[in-house]
Parts: sequence; structure tokens; C-alpha cells
Amino acid sequence: MIVASRISKIYSGNGNEVRALDGVDLTIQSGEFVIIIGRSGSGKSTLLSLLGGLSRPTHGSIEIDGNDIWKMNDKDLSKLRGHEIGFVFQFPGLMPTLDVLENVILPSSFVEKREGVGDRAIKLLDTLGIGGKVNSFPHQISGGELKRASIARALINDPSIILADEPTGDLDAETEMEIMEVFRQMNDEGRTIIMVTHNPDLSSFASRVMRMDTGHIRLEAR
Amino acid sequence: MSQEEMVGEEKHSSSKTKKSAGKRDRLPMSKFIWSGIKRRTFRNVVTVMTFAVVAAILLSAFFLIGGAENSMQVGMDRLGADLMVVPQQYEHLTDSLLLAGHPSTFFFNSSELSGIEQVPGVAQTAPQTYIATLNAGCCAFPTQLVAFDSSRDFTIQPWIRQALGRQLLPDEIILGSSFIGSGEGYHLIFYGHDFTVAGVLEKTGTGIDQSIFIQYPDALAMANDSKKLAVQELTLKPGQISSILVKLAPGYDGEQVAANITSTVVGSSVITSNHLARKISDQVSGTLSTLYLTAASVAIVSIPLIATISTMVANERRRELGLLRSMGANKLYIFLIVVAEAILLASIGALIGGVVATASLMIFQNLITTSLEIPFLWPPLTDLAIQTTLVVGLAIGFGGLTSLYPAVKSVRTEPYDSIRLR
Repeated sequence: MIVASRISKIYSGNGNEVRALDGVDLTIQSGEFVIIIGRSGSGKSTLLSLLGGLSRPTHGSIEIDGNDIWKMNDKDLSKLRGHEIGFVFQFPGLMPTLDVLENVILPSSFVEKREGVGDRAIKLLDTLGIGGKVNSFPHQISGGELKRASIARALINDPSIILADEPTGDLDAETEMEIMEVFRQMNDEGRTIIMVTHNPDLSSFASRVMRMDTGHIRLEAR
Repeated sequence: MSQEEMVGEEKHSSSKTKKSAGKRDRLPMSKFIWSGIKRRTFRNVVTVMTFAVVAAILLSAFFLIGGAENSMQVGMDRLGADLMVVPQQYEHLTDSLLLAGHPSTFFFNSSELSGIEQVPGVAQTAPQTYIATLNAGCCAFPTQLVAFDSSRDFTIQPWIRQALGRQLLPDEIILGSSFIGSGEGYHLIFYGHDFTVAGVLEKTGTGIDQSIFIQYPDALAMANDSKKLAVQELTLKPGQISSILVKLAPGYDGEQVAANITSTVVGSSVITSNHLARKISDQVSGTLSTLYLTAASVAIVSIPLIATISTMVANERRRELGLLRSMGANKLYIFLIVVAEAILLASIGALIGGVVATASLMIFQNLITTSLEIPFLWPPLTDLAIQTTLVVGLAIGFGGLTSLYPAVKSVRTEPYDSIRLR
């Protein structure tokens, strides 16, 4: 379970302050599929980064399974990110000098459980339909395949939470649906999915939809 | 291709894939560091080249000093003399002869330096006579002949006894190590006089290597033959010598005895090991100043440049480093990646510099000795290893230093701030 209490994020610089999040309260149960929609600058990506421990809230606290993640030291927080959270970003972010298989197994370098990771990666890539691309480099595969590879990378350590920031943003409609099916499947396997998107049409995949505006959650629907 | 063939192909490809997956159950940090390095050719070339140049210059300087000191030590041991007395006007010629093997001919009557034996602290004296050859049969260049008195000599005689196990016969000569291809039994003609090579000395890196040792009576006979057989006559009369080598009595200080000799024997100049060391130091200092100045200039210009490039690269990689944090990499891992890349490049540069310095000195060894008048003999391997380790260590230190700022900056930036960069 993820519990965010009164979280705010204020960016300051050049004498200006931008309040990206403003006292958000949020509770997400394990196994939920939450989609957060909103316009650019509404604070949805910032919320995701705070929930995933990639950015420290200016105020408030975030607990994952009862542990306040921002009270953890760097080592424990990194371990939590490595074991429990898988991130999928709008850009695939694969390392250009590593092939697909190496990219997928990369996160396993930061966790203790590494046995059989190569086979697990192959299986994941097979499941995602790019089993034939294991030895290809990122520049040799299509955008949809890159996205699938980045999803495989997010799943390699078998995390219980998937945080996805505009994962289908730059994909055509057909590939977008295929990728959303993958997320639905991950949710069916019991993973908590929190996805940020600006496409309201994807709401049908979610068990809960939140709309954000100017750093607040304005609407929630189940 | 039939369906069966395609299925077979697929099975083969799948087993190949599985094999490659088995091999790659983890991605070691070293592989990740190497993959990061491979992508940045400009940064790599600048960093490696800079450290290579600085290391090559520093190591050349260290090797040069070590080589000169080693050469002097071996050369003085070879001479076996504590002091060398020459008339004042010939001091510079003797220095040049000893350090670089520049041949010269100069004589004086032994009576000019009489009284040396009576100076307190002088245990033994041995005269030598220096004769520069004409373009001899052995060599394309004039060579230094050193005539010694077998009855009094204590520099070549011990070596002859040890290496040959007998006395030197008339017209037999001993060669310095530089006379490649002229071994034992070889005949050489100087001033029309025929000599037979009896042995070759070990390398010292000093002028001794370019010298040929002959017995004094043979030198007189050679001078006599030159009247009829040589294109240029050699005038050498009995009793004419060029220097007197001195062995100290036990317990006496060389510098003190040298001072005693110059005050007792008017017009004499005494060459001591300290004098030669100072002379070498003078010769080396000009070269070293140039080397150190170049190394400092390269370092002053390049180290900030490398630091700037490292910072640029780290900025360029911020998203990549942020992604690694999102995958579970902790701050220490990120710090180590940035620093390790810089250290690796600096080490590669320093090692290349070491190879370049070694190769240059090996190739230009003779040129250094003859042109710069710096005697050179490779120091022992352990010394070279220590100096190389020191320079590689310095490079690692500087390499690490240049990457500190970008490494700390990478660690301090929140992962999300790094990732959202466009």
C-alpha cells in the first residue's frame, strides 16, 4: 500500500517558486491500476517521481508498506527502488552501447537476487514479443520494441509496483493498445500500476482514475 | 526455405540466445564503465593524450636522472679510481671524454704533476694517456684510445685478470661496450699499428663505452709506426701522459684529498665523483627544466580542460545516471562510475606515456649521451617499476581529481531532475 500525506513539491530558482504539488493526500492499495490524467504542468509526473522516491517532497510524507521512504538512507531507498519499484518512462532510456538483453538485465546489477536473470530476461522479452531482438542494439529496433524492452527492464527484478510516466506518449494507436494490454496483464498478475497519461481514452484500463490540475487531485473515479 | 527449415532455424537461434543469456546473468560495473567510455571518443582522446604526454615527460625526466646516476655509479666503479688529476687547462676535455666519450688528444709531461704521491691520503696513482684516433678501420668516427701503464694501473688490470685470467699481451686491446661487431680476436689498425681485441668491457653508459684501452708501450710503438704508416703522424714521447688516476688511502675524504692535491700541485685540477655528479647535474638540469616546464604547461592547460570535458560528459549523462538511480543504483555506485571512468582513462594515458618514454630513451640513448653529454645507463628494473608506479599513481590522483566535481554533482542531483532533462 502506498500512502502519501499532505505532499507538496516546490521548485525554486531565480527568485521564482513553482508549486508543482500542493498538499496532496493519496492512498493506493496493493494491486490497484491507477491512471492519473491531466494537462502538462498539472503535477502528475512530479507526483509519480515522489511516489517512486526519485524526488524528495518539500513537505509531507510517503509510505510504502508502512515505511516512510524519505526517512530511509540512500542505500535503503535505492534498495527499495531496485526491488519493489519498476519505472517505465515516455522515452525508453536504453543504454545505446548495451544490447537489448544487457539493457534488460541491467537493474539486476543493483539487487542481490541475480540467479537466472538471463533466462528470466529472455522469457520476459519473449512474452513481450521481442524475443528475437535480444542481441540487437537500441538503434536497431523500432519505437514499439524499445518500449517493450524498457517494460521488460522495469519487470526484471519482479517489482510489486510499476510506475509509468506517459509510457505510450509517442506510440501509434495500435502499439499503444498492445502496450496497455501488457500493463493490464501485469496488473492481473497482482502488481500495483500507477500510470500517468494525458490520454483520457486509456482510463478504461484503470481501476481508478484521478485527474490532476495545478498540483491538486481534483477528481477521482472508480 | 521450407517451414521445417524455418522451425529448425528458430530452434537453433533460440538455443543460441539461451546460451548468450546464460553467459550474461549479470552486468558487472566494469562492463558498464567500459560501455560509457566507448561512446565518447573526443573526451577519451583528449584525456588519454594529455595524461600520456605528461606521464611521458615526467617518466623521461625520472629515467634520465636515474640513468645518469646509475651510469655515473657504474662508470666510476669501472674506473676504480677515487680521483682523477689533470692539468687545469684540460679539465673540460676530460669531463667531455668521461661523460660523453668525445675523443681528444692532450699530453703533458708527467713531471708537471709530480708530487701527487706525497699528498696525504693518496694510496696509489696510475697515469693514463688519451689519444684520439683518426677515422679508424673499426669505426666511422674518431675513437678515444686510453693508454695505461700495466705496472701501475688499477682500473683495467683487475678486469683483465678477472675476465681474461691472464696478463694482456703486447698489441692486445680492450674495447668499450659500444664497439658492436668487434669481438675477441678481431684486428683493428690505429695510426698504422695493428692491434688484436682481447676483450670487451660491460656497458657503463659513460665515455668509457666509446674508449679503447691499450698498453702504454704499444701506444709508443703506434706513435712510432705512424711516422711511416699513418696519414697523420702521432707525436707521443715517453713520459707524456694525460691524467693521473688516484686511489685514496682508507679513511680519507676524497674532497679533502682533492683540495690538498690542488694546493700542493700547482696548476692541477682534480676530478672527483662529486665534480662529475655536479657536471652531470648541470648537463641534466637544462634538459630537465625544459621537460618539467613542458609537463607543467601541458598539465596547466589540460587538467582544467579535462575537468571541463568530464563535467560536460557528466551533464550529458545526467539522464542516464538518473535512470540508473531509478533502477536501484545508489549514490556510491554513480560516484564510482564517474570517477572510475576518469581514472581508467588517466591510467591508460599514463601507461602509454610510460611506453613512449621508455621507447624514446631506448631509441635516442646514444644521442642523449653524445649530444647532451648526459651519460645514460638504464637503472635497475625495480627502480623503473617504482618510478612508473609513482607516475601512474599521480595520473590516477589527477584523473580522480578532475572527475570529483562532476561525480559529486551527479550524486547530488535528484534522480528525477536528471531524468526529466531533455
